[in-house]
Amino acid sequence: MRVRMIDVRKSFGQNEVVKNLSLDIADGEFLVLLGESGCGKTTALRMVAGLETVSGGTIEIGDQDVTNVLPKYRNVAMVFQSYALYPHMTVAKNIGYPLKLRGTPAAELDAAVRAAAEKVHLEDLLHRYPRQLSGGQRQRVALARAMVRTPSAFLMDEPLSNLDAKLRIAMRVELKRLQSELGVTTIYVTHDQVEAMTLAHRVAVMDEGVLQQVAPPKEIYDDPANLFVARFIGAPAMNIVKGTVEDGTFAVPDGAVSLGSIAARGDVYLGFRPEDATLAPADEAMLRARIYSTEMTGNETIVTCEMNGEQVVVRADKDYEGTLDAAVGIDLDPGKARLFDCDNGRRIRR
Amino acid sequence: MNIPERTLLRRLFLPYDITSMAPATKVLVYTLLVLWLLVVLFPLYWLFITSFKLPIQVNDGPDFIPFIDFEPSMHAWHYILFELGNDTLRPYINSVIVAFCATVFCVLIGSFAAYALVRIQYRVKIGNVLAFLALLGLTVFTVTSLGAPLFAAAPVAIILFVFFVAAVGRYFRRALGNDDILFWIISNRILPPVVVVLPVYLMFQRIGLLDTHIALIATYTAVNLPIVVWLMRDFFAGIPLDLEESAQIDGASRLRIFFTIVLPLARPGLAATSLLILILAWNEYLLALFISTADAQTMPMLVAAQNATRGPQWWYMSVLIVIMIAPIVLTAFLLQRHIARGLLVGAIKG
Repeated sequence: MRVRMIDVRKSFGQNEVVKNLSLDIADGEFLVLLGESGCGKTTALRMVAGLETVSGGTIEIGDQDVTNVLPKYRNVAMVFQSYALYPHMTVAKNIGYPLKLRGTPAAELDAAVRAAAEKVHLEDLLHRYPRQLSGGQRQRVALARAMVRTPSAFLMDEPLSNLDAKLRIAMRVELKRLQSELGVTTIYVTHDQVEAMTLAHRVAVMDEGVLQQVAPPKEIYDDPANLFVARFIGAPAMNIVKGTVEDGTFAVPDGAVSLGSIAARGDVYLGFRPEDATLAPADEAMLRARIYSTEMTGNETIVTCEMNGEQVVVRADKDYEGTLDAAVGIDLDPGKARLFDCDNGRRIRR
Repeated sequence: MNIPERTLLRRLFLPYDITSMAPATKVLVYTLLVLWLLVVLFPLYWLFITSFKLPIQVNDGPDFIPFIDFEPSMHAWHYILFELGNDTLRPYINSVIVAFCATVFCVLIGSFAAYALVRIQYRVKIGNVLAFLALLGLTVFTVTSLGAPLFAAAPVAIILFVFFVAAVGRYFRRALGNDDILFWIISNRILPPVVVVLPVYLMFQRIGLLDTHIALIATYTAVNLPIVVWLMRDFFAGIPLDLEESAQIDGASRLRIFFTIVLPLARPGLAATSLLILILAWNEYLLALFISTADAQTMPMLVAAQNATRGPQWWYMSVLIVIMIAPIVLTAFLLQRHIARGLLVGAIKG
């Protein structure tokens, strides 16, 4: 079902943690709320679930205003970061609990539990207790419990963050597959941008309770709306260099980048992705820097350079070998460079 | 490094590894444990053999070992169980009914209160409390001094209080929190019971419930409630909030969550608390002395009665105490396997 948040606000005392959040999530859409801890993303999710009251604004699920409706009537399913399995119930009882509360007949309940368990490959563990399961299995029980009924929306609060790295990647793939099979609207909260980029139809980036940008992952990456999104998305993050624009050229003390037709703007930030820059001999390149450190990650070498006191990261070939403190030049693709306003951090469109 | 050589002396006083005790320590610890065991068990043994002694053997004693020091006799058992017959059975059944009923009510009501104090933040306005006390005082004054009938004065006072709270209650700023409520509850127990014995006696005399089970059950429930609230509060606080929120989203009501999630998970606490309250109610003497006279007389009364005009009848007393501790020992055995830790393993995290 469609989920809408209209001008939603939340304050704890004097502290406003969600500020005028408006989101329109289409039926079947996978929306990821992305932000650092404390940015208000979990609070936003809990307001949709009904676990947190709303200080202002409206929340709609389907066509209904649910702003003041108890959680149990919203028919949403939630997966908690801690999984929140009932430790005194078997896996089957855990999965079947939401149906039992709805008075589902025993035969129907058993069939539904079995079907949900099969989706997450738990059918052999139905008689076990949560304490007898591994972390990944517990996680799957939590998912099965959410999927056992047909909820109006899935709400997931960092469901993968307690798994180890390998399992997390495997579950990410499973989760994406399950969501597209079931076609249930999903709101997914995470601080992990890789999860956000890989899972989402659209990513909503939040900072200090304010929505920064909502867009498909590719657009978030290529066309960040402001400095915060630019710095937050990407590992390593986008390089941001302060300089001035005059006569269509971005100039810093150690070089210049020709940007083509652009009005003179004075001080601006220039942003470019590490993969949009290349290392070149110092005397021929657009920008001049010194090598600060190199890290070989396997498939590439991350070269951190120092330019006028600021660090700039460039992705280089895995065979690249540079000596520390050596002078080096950086060339970049002017078409992929992004400009940001110095005062408010907003993107300057060319 | 300077690892000392393991001489014989060092082997005696140094632990073999970090998980074990040094041999000398072990000997000391077990000696102390055995000594303490004797201190605990000897009175029980003494009680048991005294119940098989004749008055002459008790007076001439001390005799320690049956069949060697003295010839066991069943005379005291015969007197208590057959000659007294119903006079033993009635207090015994009274004690069972009163203690078990009081325990059930006390633990149930106390758990409700403890749960509410853990999960709901109360803000009791001090102004409202003072208004309540003032109206209470006024009611007592009008009824006792001015001769107003209670059935007229009480409703008027209640209506006045409701109006007062509705009209000015919200303008009060200073309020009491949950910790204040908890302290007020425990302060009821700090008061020595002897202070309230006479009012309680008068109260039951007025409403015609003196010497009934109801009076004893109500009194024991009220007297022991603070202990239940304080003990259960810690157990409830240890249950992760995620579990309850998850159940809420799955569609459970507050009461349902309390009975199907919270209480089962607090089972160790419930078992321990129930046992404690049962023992307190079972052994209670002072209040029973006032409230019960004949029909509702409990076992502690009967035991004390053996210290009669002819001097203490140790042999009868021993028999009564032996049969009196039996149900408690049995209950303790039944409950102790529930007083196990680790119920929450698997609830949250991997």
